[in-house]
Amino acid sequence: MKSLVIIVVSAALAAVIPFVGSEYALSFTVQLFVFVALAYSWNLIGGYAGYTHFGQVAFFGVGAYTGALMMDAGFHWLLAAGAAGLSGALLALPLGGAMLRVKGPFFAIGMFGMARVCESFALGFDGITQGGTGLYLTPVTDLKPLYFVLWAIAFGMVVLTWKLDNSRLGIQLLAIREDETAADALGIRTTRLKIGTFVASAIAPAAVGSLYATYLSFIDPATAFAPMTELTTIAMVLLGGMGTTFGPLVGAVVMSVVNELLWSRFPEIYLALVGAVILAVVLFMPRGIVSFAMRRAWWWVPAARSSLRRLASRPAPSRSPKEAH
Amino acid sequence: MHVQRIQPQPTPVPPPDFASATDTAERILVVEGVGKRFGGLVALSDVSLSVGRGSITGVIGPNGSGKSTLFNIIAGTLRPDRGRVFLNGHDTTRASPAQICRNGVGRTFQISRLFGEMTVLENLVAVAHGASDAEAVERALGLLDFLEITGLRDKWGTELSYGQRKLVEIARALMLRPTVMLLDEPFAGINPRLQNRIVDHLEALRQRGLTLFFIDHEMRIVLEICDTIHVLAQGRVIAEGDAAAIRSDPKVQDAYF
Repeated sequence: MKSLVIIVVSAALAAVIPFVGSEYALSFTVQLFVFVALAYSWNLIGGYAGYTHFGQVAFFGVGAYTGALMMDAGFHWLLAAGAAGLSGALLALPLGGAMLRVKGPFFAIGMFGMARVCESFALGFDGITQGGTGLYLTPVTDLKPLYFVLWAIAFGMVVLTWKLDNSRLGIQLLAIREDETAADALGIRTTRLKIGTFVASAIAPAAVGSLYATYLSFIDPATAFAPMTELTTIAMVLLGGMGTTFGPLVGAVVMSVVNELLWSRFPEIYLALVGAVILAVVLFMPRGIVSFAMRRAWWWVPAARSSLRRLASRPAPSRSPKEAH
Repeated sequence: MHVQRIQPQPTPVPPPDFASATDTAERILVVEGVGKRFGGLVALSDVSLSVGRGSITGVIGPNGSGKSTLFNIIAGTLRPDRGRVFLNGHDTTRASPAQICRNGVGRTFQISRLFGEMTVLENLVAVAHGASDAEAVERALGLLDFLEITGLRDKWGTELSYGQRKLVEIARALMLRPTVMLLDEPFAGINPRLQNRIVDHLEALRQRGLTLFFIDHEMRIVLEICDTIHVLAQGRVIAEGDAAAIRSDPKVQDAYF
């Protein structure tokens, strides 16, 4: 219930910005939505399934190029974004099948390598991608439709994660994160779940990559596959709380606002200050802001995975205690 | 090797190439000539044993005798170099742990493998395959009640004591509604009072037709509750039989006592 209120209120607030906010507010929020979508996607595979990695930007970049090339060929930007999302899924399927056999640092760094490989392709196939020069696209005249599509993706990911968090599927992903060998031995179909989650976590980044290219009306390998995008996304999830419903949202908002404030006030040392803020949070709230709040059980903080607890606390006169085995 | 497809509800039909276990109605688990080496170390050499349906069967043996290797081969986490394992008449030698589990085998681990950052209820519900959320919760609450650990329901895996973890692991394995339970040292390192409680629960489970197969060092309990005991030493079964036979066997006395 609390979760639903938080989602509806924040979605409603975000929906009025284009009508009341300045041009600056609009562009700030567009960037925020991009990061919310990225952070939630990363949270699925990194936070829930426990397969943290540094390669999500590969999907963002491949999506950006797929979309840009389609728009270049005359397709509508919305159709291009859809195709980009599909391209993310199609890339993730074989990649997941191959890469998810390894765990921990091997998977994390292996995926980082995959992103670099994709970047090299974008640079190397300059007949198609214009190489380092980049692709220039016709700018969209009205940003509002683009804004609302990004809004829908960002909050779609929030709702999806909320649903996942309250489902058995979410709990099974957490079981993989906690102890994959035990999960496997207890009949959880770990391979299927991992690859499925990995594919699901690639769709929104790829679609958002295409929309971001639309927003910039330009894309080049350095923008599409920027390691900074990757690191910012991961920092947001860590800051907010991995494997939680609202962690990525809180992390993305806090980090974007802090970033923006520090950048405008202290442009020379802002990165150092951002570093200090992250360091402080990691030291004092190692599991992120949302987990910190949940541990304290403040009344306004929605409990994690509350649906099972509700089911368990339901009075059940018909319960036969010896029905165990 | 050909792996027979595992059915969700196993039917005890003996495969034609498996003459020695035609009595699958009697023997739920059969290990045939299993051998396993790790490099130069022979962990198991030619181990054969069978577990009667609805029995409590124990495997004992000194450290390094191959008990855990045998257990892991049965549960599918290790592949034997030779020999075969049959569960309910199906050859599960090359089946994955998940397949074996879904074929009716629930297991606990020697070192606790609870999902730490999840509550006890979530630990149980996560493995209730095929049940709806409401059914899964209902089953979990019933098991917590049966094992008298209802109070642990909302505790995190990491918060539990060693003995509590053992109990929750048994509950979690029972969530699978197994026909065979593999218990890896369920009595190791816990106090005698709790040991007796677990024994009572195991006896109650057997009353309901569950087959229990376990490894332990706790001689007192093994000799007390097992119908059949297999004694492993240096990768071989050196003796088998009921408690009296094991106690009086000179080879066992040599290797163990």
